[in-house]
Amino acid sequence: MNEFELLRNITIGQYLPTGSYLHRLDPRAKIIAAVLLTAAVSFTPSILGNASLLIACSAVVVLGRIPFSYALRGLIPAVPLLLILALLQLLFFGRNYDPTSPVIFHWGWIVVTAAVARLVVISAARFVELLLVTSVFTLSTRTTELTHGIERLLRPFRRLRVPSHELALVVTIALRFIPTIALEAERLLKAQASRGGTIRGRRGNFVAATRRLLPVLVPLFTFALRRGEELIVAMEARAYMGGEGRTTYAILPGRPLDWLAPVAALAFLVAMLFVRFPF
Amino acid sequence: MIDRGEHAGTLTAARPGVSPLIAVENLWHTYMAGTPFEHQALRGISLNIYPGEAVGVIGQTGSGKSTLIQYFNGLMRPIRGRVLVAGHDLGRPDVDLAAVRRIVGLVFQEPETQVFERLVGDDIAYGPRQLRLPFLEIRERVRWAMETVGLPFDAFKDRYTFTLSGGELRKAALAGVLALRPRVLVVDEPTSGLDPGAREELRGRIRDLRTREGMTLVLVSHDMEEVARLSDRLYILHDGAVVATGTPREVFVDGARLAELGLAPPEATQVVQRLRARGYHVRGDALTVEEAEQALAPLLSEGP
Repeated sequence: MNEFELLRNITIGQYLPTGSYLHRLDPRAKIIAAVLLTAAVSFTPSILGNASLLIACSAVVVLGRIPFSYALRGLIPAVPLLLILALLQLLFFGRNYDPTSPVIFHWGWIVVTAAVARLVVISAARFVELLLVTSVFTLSTRTTELTHGIERLLRPFRRLRVPSHELALVVTIALRFIPTIALEAERLLKAQASRGGTIRGRRGNFVAATRRLLPVLVPLFTFALRRGEELIVAMEARAYMGGEGRTTYAILPGRPLDWLAPVAALAFLVAMLFVRFPF
Repeated sequence: MIDRGEHAGTLTAARPGVSPLIAVENLWHTYMAGTPFEHQALRGISLNIYPGEAVGVIGQTGSGKSTLIQYFNGLMRPIRGRVLVAGHDLGRPDVDLAAVRRIVGLVFQEPETQVFERLVGDDIAYGPRQLRLPFLEIRERVRWAMETVGLPFDAFKDRYTFTLSGGELRKAALAGVLALRPRVLVVDEPTSGLDPGAREELRGRIRDLRTREGMTLVLVSHDMEEVARLSDRLYILHDGAVVATGTPREVFVDGARLAELGLAPPEATQVVQRLRARGYHVRGDALTVEEAEQALAPLLSEGP
């Protein structure tokens, strides 16, 4: 029992080495495939379509040899939010959303149409699908691979003055800092609780609630800024100069088999766009 | 109460008639349970801390010390095993955690990083304010806590926290916990990263807490001389289990066993032990520089 173990439920930004096909995939191919899958999730408005998406995403999890329980753990903190969202949709959409749809539930002023019920199911499914895709992506990709991938993918846009190297670096650092900040927040929550502080608990208005967070937020920002400064010094000490003329130690493989993933994802997206699902 | 029969003599010093302030019984802890990063930090720890004593907890990095002390004030609560703090059973869902945290004050490593208020006095008053004490009582507690750690109240209460030196800021953070007036003070690496002068002073302050205020003390440290100077009794943790306990003299005498556990006796002890091993007639149980000096002086007066 540990009310403070924050990192346990954060699956984004962690790397889980299992040596699967997905782990060995060229990061460029993996990024494209992930983007295409995300697009497929966004463009599928039907229940059957989402069912097939859930199956596809589960297949990806299996392909990455990632335990399902762990991939889904990121869902735990979002459950209350999802429930509230579903409840709001059920209570207040009523006949406003697609008035032609038949009413399937009616009690007092609460009206649930078939279209709203479908919407609730689909938004929940979409959330799970997106979570699975992003979790598997980060769990199977080292941050250095991610940086190289983004940098190489953006390289053609350099003529348009897109700072590909710098953008990639920003993404890497942001991802790398998630677990670091979470651990520090955990430490501070414990330290302030030891001093008699209560972050949760007593109710109050928004301002009072925010004030209760100050004992954690102030030192957390100090910590983040200090870490940032240390990072700058460390990079300068290693004579970091930015992307110009910089070579890499790891050469991206780019084997033909790697491109199977984005091609499969593209095929899937096209299928999702053109197949007419009955419901 | 505690089943002493199982552990008496081996793990805990049984004291007839005195019940322990903190009792830990067969405690297990797993980090990141249910994820692929699962890690066993504690494997069946049993120990007792009695009122008024000073207990040192030593062990290699990763031996479970920091995890263990988080159970002492209810930051963690047992899933497997039992922890009793002054009669409060931490395993019960209805345990009064606020009361437990008032009894046991836990000072984290590098506590100066948790300071958040602009003024020193306000930061130290954070705990007592949370207790909703009357203004004068808060002021008295802050004054007492500051004077106890060696920050004069009138000179420091209105100083900006960022103008304090590292040593002063650490004292202020310690005062922030003391202002809750705990019966047990648990300190994790209290003097690490301080200069020798500040280190010696802070040790003196911690010792005073025990001798003058009668506070029970739990000290976690990698500085073996510090542990030897400040504690009556030691527990050695290795790989999440208690592997030895006794007075500092009993524990530090066995240099070979300590080396197996990734530890070493205080340097003063090592010097006299090595001299003994080379055939010199010196007492091998000196723990501090002063004791080593006394042990070696007769040797030197005999002349070369």
